[in-house]
Amino acid sequence: MSVGFRAVQWNRDKLVYDGILVAAVALYIAGFGVVAWRIEPPKNMPEAIDLWIRATGTCAFLMLTVILWIGPLARLSPRFRPLLYNRRHFGVLTFIVAVAHFGFLLSWYIAQHNLPNLGAELTKWEDCGKFIGFPFKTLGIGALLILFLMAATSHDFWLAFLTPRIWKSLHMALYVAYALVVMHVALGIMQSEGTMLIPLMLVGGAGSVAALHIIAGWRERTGDRGNALNADGWIAVGPPYAIPDKCARIVAAPGGERIAVFRDGTQIGALTNLCAHQNGPVGEGRIIDGCVTCPWHGYQYRLRDGCAPPPFTEKLATYRVRINRGLLEVDPRPLPPGTPAGIDIPREAISEILMPKTAM
Amino acid sequence: MTRRHRFIHRVLWPILALVVATGFVLALWLRPPPEPGQVRAAPMERPA
Repeated sequence: MSVGFRAVQWNRDKLVYDGILVAAVALYIAGFGVVAWRIEPPKNMPEAIDLWIRATGTCAFLMLTVILWIGPLARLSPRFRPLLYNRRHFGVLTFIVAVAHFGFLLSWYIAQHNLPNLGAELTKWEDCGKFIGFPFKTLGIGALLILFLMAATSHDFWLAFLTPRIWKSLHMALYVAYALVVMHVALGIMQSEGTMLIPLMLVGGAGSVAALHIIAGWRERTGDRGNALNADGWIAVGPPYAIPDKCARIVAAPGGERIAVFRDGTQIGALTNLCAHQNGPVGEGRIIDGCVTCPWHGYQYRLRDGCAPPPFTEKLATYRVRINRGLLEVDPRPLPPGTPAGIDIPREAISEILMPKTAM
Repeated sequence: MTRRHRFIHRVLWPILALVVATGFVLALWLRPPPEPGQVRAAPMERPA
């Protein structure tokens, strides 16, 4: 992939995903407004604006919570992977809703000809030393700035320019943004409202995010332990036929980096488990149209050499594989990306390897 | 995710979770009790 700018490549899946997202957000905000208006009609303009501050604020919090659910859910079950496909657009829409929240806040001050008070509130340094009474809007603004940074760098141009490694690290700031939002609510509205609804919303949101991460992390921990090496430093993968056709078995090199060993009929190849696009788990994908296909966004690579088919130019690191006494083995030392390393299972071993039961 | 990302991820979010959980519990513990007969508090974004 070149680092030149390329407009968003729309397809039907992205349009459907975004359509559902926008509809859900519009429904939530409109529903919140209608219900709140009926329960307690605003008496003046500031009260009406306050209602929309709450609608957009709770919407942004819920959206952030759902975004943070998607990662661990996709690790726990492939059924949730479609949510991951266009998560960046989800993030950009969350930023837009958060900007609307901030915009309504400004309108609230402007409606009362009170805008300078906001500046005074944000720069009241003596309040910064307090816990209750801390200028909580600064926390919200901090979260908004992080969301801006992430939305601004969400395009594939930045992904390629910064490299997936740096881009991923940068986008982990979402956790910091979420923490700031939780404390923005806890030190803000939760202090002025006596209701238990807000604490419950925070506990439910942040608690579910933490629980999902713990469960997914617990299940992943075995994958981080490097597989045992044999005498000459190779990793035993097992009998080749134990790998389902057009799928992979993932093994871990001694440092914990993962290797995806694929079988496509009688062809075997090992690639790094990191997709060149967003470091997605290539080994959890399948071979489609003769190419290893990443389950996250469908980036494809040839099994034999880890190169994307023309006109694409991405390359994955490959690993040497061999059949040793009927067992498939992989050398955990990576080869330069694009190095041919796939093998064909020897003809004389095929019947034994592919059809062990009939052969016996 | 690279091994390094998994490591950062697993270090970063538990620390944040702990800080946020502590902050939240303190904020809940220290919040003023609701005024008697209060139906709805003042607007969310109240100027100082």
